[in-house]
Amino acid sequence: MDAGRLTRIAAVAANTHREAVRERVLYNLVFFAIVMILSGLLLGQLSIRQDEKIIKDIGLAAMDVFGTLIGVFLGVSLMSKEIERRSLYPLLAKPLSREEFLAGKFLGLSFTLLVNVTVMALGLYATLLATGRGADPALLKAVLPIYQGLVLVVAIAVLFSTVASSALAAVGTVCVVVAGRYSDVVRNMRDVVPDAPTWLIEGLYYAMPNFRNFDFKNRVVYGDPVGWNDLGFVTVYWLLYLALTLGAAAAAFRSRDFH
Amino acid sequence: MRRRTPWLLLLLLPLIAGVQRELDARLGRYRATEEALFVWSGTAVRRMAPGLENVMADLYWLRTVQYFGGQRVFDREKRFDLLEPLIEITTTLDPRFELAYRYGAIFLAEPWPQGAGQAQAALRLLEKGAREMPQSWRIRWDAGYFRHLFMDDPAGGARILLEAAELPGAPYWLRTLAAAMKSKAPGERDFARLLWQQIHDEAEAAPIRRNARLHLDYLDAADRRDALQALVDRFHETRGRWPGSLAEIVRERALLADAAGVAWDYDATTGRVRIARLSPLWRLDRWKAL
Amino acid sequence: MQPASSPALRIDGLTKTYRLGLTGRVTRQALHPLDLEVRRGEIFGYLGPNGSGKTTTLKVLMGLVRADAGTVEVLGLPLADPAWRRRAGYLPEHPYFYDYLTPAEYLGYAGRLLGLETGLMAARSEELLRLVGLSDSRDVPMRRFSKGMVQRLGLAQALLNDPEIVFLDEPMSGLDPIGRHMVRNIILGLRERGKTVFFSTHILPDAETLCDRLALLRAGRLLKVGRLDEILAIDISHFEVLCTGGGAAAREAAAAAGAGAAREMGERWRVEIGEPALAALVSAVAAAGARVLGVQPVRESLEEYFFREMGGDTARDPWTLAD
Repeated sequence: MDAGRLTRIAAVAANTHREAVRERVLYNLVFFAIVMILSGLLLGQLSIRQDEKIIKDIGLAAMDVFGTLIGVFLGVSLMSKEIERRSLYPLLAKPLSREEFLAGKFLGLSFTLLVNVTVMALGLYATLLATGRGADPALLKAVLPIYQGLVLVVAIAVLFSTVASSALAAVGTVCVVVAGRYSDVVRNMRDVVPDAPTWLIEGLYYAMPNFRNFDFKNRVVYGDPVGWNDLGFVTVYWLLYLALTLGAAAAAFRSRDFH
Repeated sequence: MRRRTPWLLLLLLPLIAGVQRELDARLGRYRATEEALFVWSGTAVRRMAPGLENVMADLYWLRTVQYFGGQRVFDREKRFDLLEPLIEITTTLDPRFELAYRYGAIFLAEPWPQGAGQAQAALRLLEKGAREMPQSWRIRWDAGYFRHLFMDDPAGGARILLEAAELPGAPYWLRTLAAAMKSKAPGERDFARLLWQQIHDEAEAAPIRRNARLHLDYLDAADRRDALQALVDRFHETRGRWPGSLAEIVRERALLADAAGVAWDYDATTGRVRIARLSPLWRLDRWKAL
Repeated sequence: MQPASSPALRIDGLTKTYRLGLTGRVTRQALHPLDLEVRRGEIFGYLGPNGSGKTTTLKVLMGLVRADAGTVEVLGLPLADPAWRRRAGYLPEHPYFYDYLTPAEYLGYAGRLLGLETGLMAARSEELLRLVGLSDSRDVPMRRFSKGMVQRLGLAQALLNDPEIVFLDEPMSGLDPIGRHMVRNIILGLRERGKTVFFSTHILPDAETLCDRLALLRAGRLLKVGRLDEILAIDISHFEVLCTGGGAAAREAAAAAGAGAAREMGERWRVEIGEPALAALVSAVAAAGARVLGVQPVRESLEEYFFREMGGDTARDPWTLAD
């Protein structure tokens, strides 16, 4: 990989991040997430002693939910806008390959999400410290997989945006992300449809990105030990699924005509 | 003028609120939201919000606390119908929500109208907690105590306390408590004081400590009331009538005497009460100085 | 390095069929096998009505659309070789360059993609923003830009790397007369510096005033390629003679010499005459007391040619897709 390639990918990533940062919707979502996290303060006081648990529960859930919203929104809008508003055209005429563009876009979005998650995590820690609770570093073991899940959301959004219009891409991304969160339901489909063939259920279950993998919230909030092996396997799953999603996105993007 | 328009719009808010109040008054009886649970089954909520069970549990717990508090303070009818399902949903969503079991059990078990008066439900809840959190000695401690206190089953309570004592991290006094529970009849004040003192000292949450303190204070008050009642009864024995006021008891020197019938010696300069020299008990007091 | 003798652009047998609809069973052939050569240093106009395949050709060149068949060489390099892109510029049709960026930021972004060295890039952007008249707006977010301003920035980004060949898709669209004048000057300036300009347009006067050579495209087929005078010269048929005064006698003399009816234009009048009778007409009119103000050869305009070639009959709209 030559240095020029890295420069170009970095340039696309930097510009993507800049676009995201100048997007007002992003601030609204981060603002609401922070409000949610801070509201843990209030709710915690209403709840009889459990303020620490509730602050952590709400903080991590806000990070997860709002992060997913941000991921879908940014992933779809920033990618399809390039295609639909044709800002991509003059870029691809330059010595920038489609794969480089895709990589830059994905990395820029992932970086933006990293910034968002960091801001939300700082908000959570600030809330904990403000109530005189310790800044429990183990929380990061829940934050890291949440972030991995969000990056996967972005990859899925990017994949859909390369093959479909923004509206369709948004719907598709939401469907996959929701289905991935309800993957247990898929597995228990036999309860509802007893005749469904096993291979179909199993196939669906394994094909879907399993977002439950990235959920360590409960274990971390209750102080259960979360081993690095577990996180390691989650990371391997994450990398494999990213490779699948981004590979498909690259293939679709490469063969696509922009007319 | 145009700049002021948004602020003028704020004036609409009280108007809207007023109309809403009127609507609530008119339509409220058709809505009955307060008494309704949107979802009755914790499993259903669990399915609906994968990955968000903890937060949902928190929200249901807050609703439980509000419902309980609201029922206690405002509602004269105090039915607590939703209390058990609310706690049930909370603990199904987050089976390790220890405080929801423990405080939920108190809400349920406290006799009506302080609580729901559903001791059976409280024990069921604590049993569920013990199943979900086999390592928690506190839930078993509560279960044992509740069984003794509300179900009149000191033997069963003591057995549960001994089980709790086996768990890692369980304090030794659980065994003491179990022994005391087995040997003493329920309701005895010393035993109750022992239980509540343990709860008070162990409590992590201010409300639980306050609750224990209240019970301890009540036990004290009961002791003092009994002492006073004894004085009143003796007044009646000696004079053949009831004292006109509590102050009259104090003026009746014969009542303020030691067991030997000799009046107390009171030193007004130091404020000390002593056994009088005339009393045969005086020597013992000097010797033992209890 | 390729020999300078290689053409700036060579297209051989380029074919593109679009699949439409969900199934892709409906197809539309946007380009029938197309052959074209553009020489170095010329301004080449690519003309055709809407939907004739101009933009498709440019998109194939820019790698936005994959051709079905055919080979393309730019600056002597195959289309797939990214190296030529460093030395080329492209202005898309109706460009959009992110609302949230300022022109300076956008040029910085483009410069990094081109691998330009930072100092050089900054100097180039300042120079280009001045050239296209956006110096005052260099730090204004583009969401405040008019269509014309965006078009100007488009031109600036196409020239950022001082390209040897520039592809401009409808460069005049959205511009006011001043903007058009500016673009014309820029294109002419590029030729002076030995650059190649390939631009598509459906505005015929632009092509007429600018192009060294042009290609006419209709429904994905090349109709004609060549110099403007090669395409139109054959048709220089008659002259226009502008006169004043002379009264009815002079007009009759003109008619006698073989001219058609005189067209009155205030004090002046005008007649048309074929080349053989021109000299006789001029002297006859002068003898009748009129003053001859000017003689001009009348050449068929590109527009007339276009209508003739594309339209066939006037009832049919010549801009619509023929087949």
